[in-house]
Amino acid sequence: MMSIIRRTGTVAAAGTVLALAAACSGGSSDAGAVPGGGAQATSNADSDAIAALIEAQQPATDLPAGSTAAKIKEKGELTVGGVQTSALFSLLNPTTGKVEGFDAAMSQLLADYIIGEPNTKLVNVTSQTREALIQNGSVDVVFATYTITPERAEKISFAGPYYQDGLGIEVKKGTTGINTLADLNGKTVVTQSASTAPNKITEAAPDAKIQLFETNTEALQALQQGRADAYVIDQSILAGNAVTNDDVEVIGDKFTEDPYGIGLAKDDADFKKFVNTWLQAKIDDGTWARVWQATVGTEVPGDVPTPPTIG
Amino acid sequence: MSSTTEQPARDGVGDPEISLAPVTVASPGGLRARFAAIGAQDAALFDVPGPRGRQRIRIATVVSIVVLAVMLAAGVRQFAVNGQLEWSKWQLFTQWPVIRYLLNALWATLQVTLISGAIALPLGALLALARLSRSPLLSRPATLFVEVLRAVPLLLLIYALLLGLPSTGIRIPLFWLLIIPIVLTNAAVLAEIFRAAVKALPRGQTEAAYALGLGYWPAMRLVVLPQAVRLAAPALISQIIRLLKDSTLGYVVSYLELLYSARVLGEFNHTVIQSFVVVAAVFIVANLTLAALAGQVERRIGGAGGRA
Amino acid sequence: MDVIAGNLDVFGQGLLISIQISVSTFVLAGGLGLLLTVCRISPVLPLRLAATAYVELVRSIPLLVLLILFVFGLPEIGLVGPLLGTAVVAMSLYWATFFSETMRSGVRAVPQGQIEAARALGFTFGQVLRLVVLPQALRTIIQPLASLLIAIVLNSSLAAAVGVTQELTGQTQLLDQRYAQPLVTFGAAAICYVAMAFIIGRSAGYLDRRLAVQR
Repeated sequence: MMSIIRRTGTVAAAGTVLALAAACSGGSSDAGAVPGGGAQATSNADSDAIAALIEAQQPATDLPAGSTAAKIKEKGELTVGGVQTSALFSLLNPTTGKVEGFDAAMSQLLADYIIGEPNTKLVNVTSQTREALIQNGSVDVVFATYTITPERAEKISFAGPYYQDGLGIEVKKGTTGINTLADLNGKTVVTQSASTAPNKITEAAPDAKIQLFETNTEALQALQQGRADAYVIDQSILAGNAVTNDDVEVIGDKFTEDPYGIGLAKDDADFKKFVNTWLQAKIDDGTWARVWQATVGTEVPGDVPTPPTIG
Repeated sequence: MSSTTEQPARDGVGDPEISLAPVTVASPGGLRARFAAIGAQDAALFDVPGPRGRQRIRIATVVSIVVLAVMLAAGVRQFAVNGQLEWSKWQLFTQWPVIRYLLNALWATLQVTLISGAIALPLGALLALARLSRSPLLSRPATLFVEVLRAVPLLLLIYALLLGLPSTGIRIPLFWLLIIPIVLTNAAVLAEIFRAAVKALPRGQTEAAYALGLGYWPAMRLVVLPQAVRLAAPALISQIIRLLKDSTLGYVVSYLELLYSARVLGEFNHTVIQSFVVVAAVFIVANLTLAALAGQVERRIGGAGGRA
Repeated sequence: MDVIAGNLDVFGQGLLISIQISVSTFVLAGGLGLLLTVCRISPVLPLRLAATAYVELVRSIPLLVLLILFVFGLPEIGLVGPLLGTAVVAMSLYWATFFSETMRSGVRAVPQGQIEAARALGFTFGQVLRLVVLPQALRTIIQPLASLLIAIVLNSSLAAAVGVTQELTGQTQLLDQRYAQPLVTFGAAAICYVAMAFIIGRSAGYLDRRLAVQR
């Protein structure tokens, strides 16, 4: 997998080479091809590896009649609440119209397990609408870097956790004086609007000036250009940024523990058990680790993390 | 609250109402003469220049061409030195999957425009009539609604609905959480356009209708509104076109309209400025096309030229 | 309600920033709009063409697109400014086109006969403009300018969409995330905006009556 070339000094030089490569490839309109005709554009995931994992999965047999899983199988597709702008987890590939990333791959695997085909239908959610959409039955499951919190667990139930992350701090290389969240007092801090970060920052550093951006690219750009002193968001996203941009660095370890859960309807203990059993099997047979490698691992350095303990 | 100003339109993302007669130039004298005629209707401020005046205009022409060219060149150079003119960064937009993706996004934008326009237009007419009615039970709430909704930013309204509705237990699809605020603010603006048009009609029209024994609503429906609609047509149409701009707030509710799609495209391919430049161009084309279509419609129904 | 009482300073600060954005945009856009208007009525053809093209094109771009292009796009070609300043510049470039339209309609509202009379008296172009056209034109556009200012105030909220979270709508968004009382917080912000629009409208009405042109 190519790593991303992002606004570094090498862009211009690489661009020339790529332009030549692109000219040779002759603007093929193969939907599977990465847009840009060359390695300039990046995919967010190794989709071949994900496809192989789905192929290898043995679909569930003997779903109890009348169960939620059986109803989904009957419907022929899994309705997933998710987003289209979350790098590494669920980012829309404009050329294929499919979302790619860890969340997207896991939801396809779950759909394949239930239905026998990786048929998912993505319903856009925002951090404000996730509970509501589960409660009124608009979605079967939510995969959206959905942190398990007691407040949320009162309205819906969570399978998993299937991923463990936490907030980290990213700064421009050479920045001193920022070591913990509390050091952000009086500093300009950027983060993404649809996350738990603003509240956590305000709790730890009430005088931090928070600026909200919609996407990772926009927030990272603000940091790189000196419009902000620090960028706070999930550690894995920050780590990805640091790999592809040599002018920023992640400080220390994560400051919070944010287990991501799969959002499910509140009073469906059977389905929760069903999803948890599937998840445990995926962790045990190594699928989980391979999904991580094919998605988050394409940009985040280091070994595959230990999967979280379910329950 | 009384009407704060007589100027009708002000809304969330849209723009204040400005009656802008399109520069229609029907000159036979070819391209040069047609260009020369742009803005010519304002030219009565100065006399036909004499020899010295012509000399000065010639100098100013040369200087301004140079200055404009330098500005343009500086802009292009800025792109070039930062590697943003690389063909590989633009080639994306010649590929069918990307074009299809953007066309879908344009359609999504048009959907918002058409649907919210179709709802806001009749709602605005009703609001105007309610505000004009003699019953304070109708006119007071209508006035309050119109004045408040014209003074609240669309972005704030979308947030208020998106975040406020779930706590009241009301659940509606995200798409409608975008449409409803757009409809509410624009209905208020459209109501003021209707109201201004009704008030601009000669009083004799209404009085004659009353003299014939028609009540308020029949008089409005049969006599006043049909004329008011023709009178207000240009303003109404340009307000509907402005809905295109309102749709850009779709990102708040994760609705993939044109601008949000461009952000996703830029995020995915790291072609940030290219995506935005392309989308700005698409918006310009869409806007000017709609404006041209509107011009046709206006001429067909006789628009402002018919009466006022 | 405690949310409001306990965070009056947050609202006040947000309101102040919103007013700052609006006023600086209004002034900058006014200056630029005047320049555009002068270009559009000048006898110099390239200026007339460029100004007309600018107005037609920029007016067709949604403000949010322009803001995003400036805030996130321009750094890609090496032009980085402070966030708030960049937002104000983008807004000014956009609103200048509306200023230009308004000013032009004001100039046109002055009866042609007056201009001809002034020219017959031997006034130069500058004198016609200064002594006859502008005093009357300015008075006829008080109301449209007030509408423009209100539109600028309401649309200053779009700055929050490009990361200028300090302004009123952005602060309200943050408060909502913290206290989860959307109806109260957004209601309070709405009242602030309605009050601003009301004050502007009322002042314009007053000015208009005081300075009305008798014809």
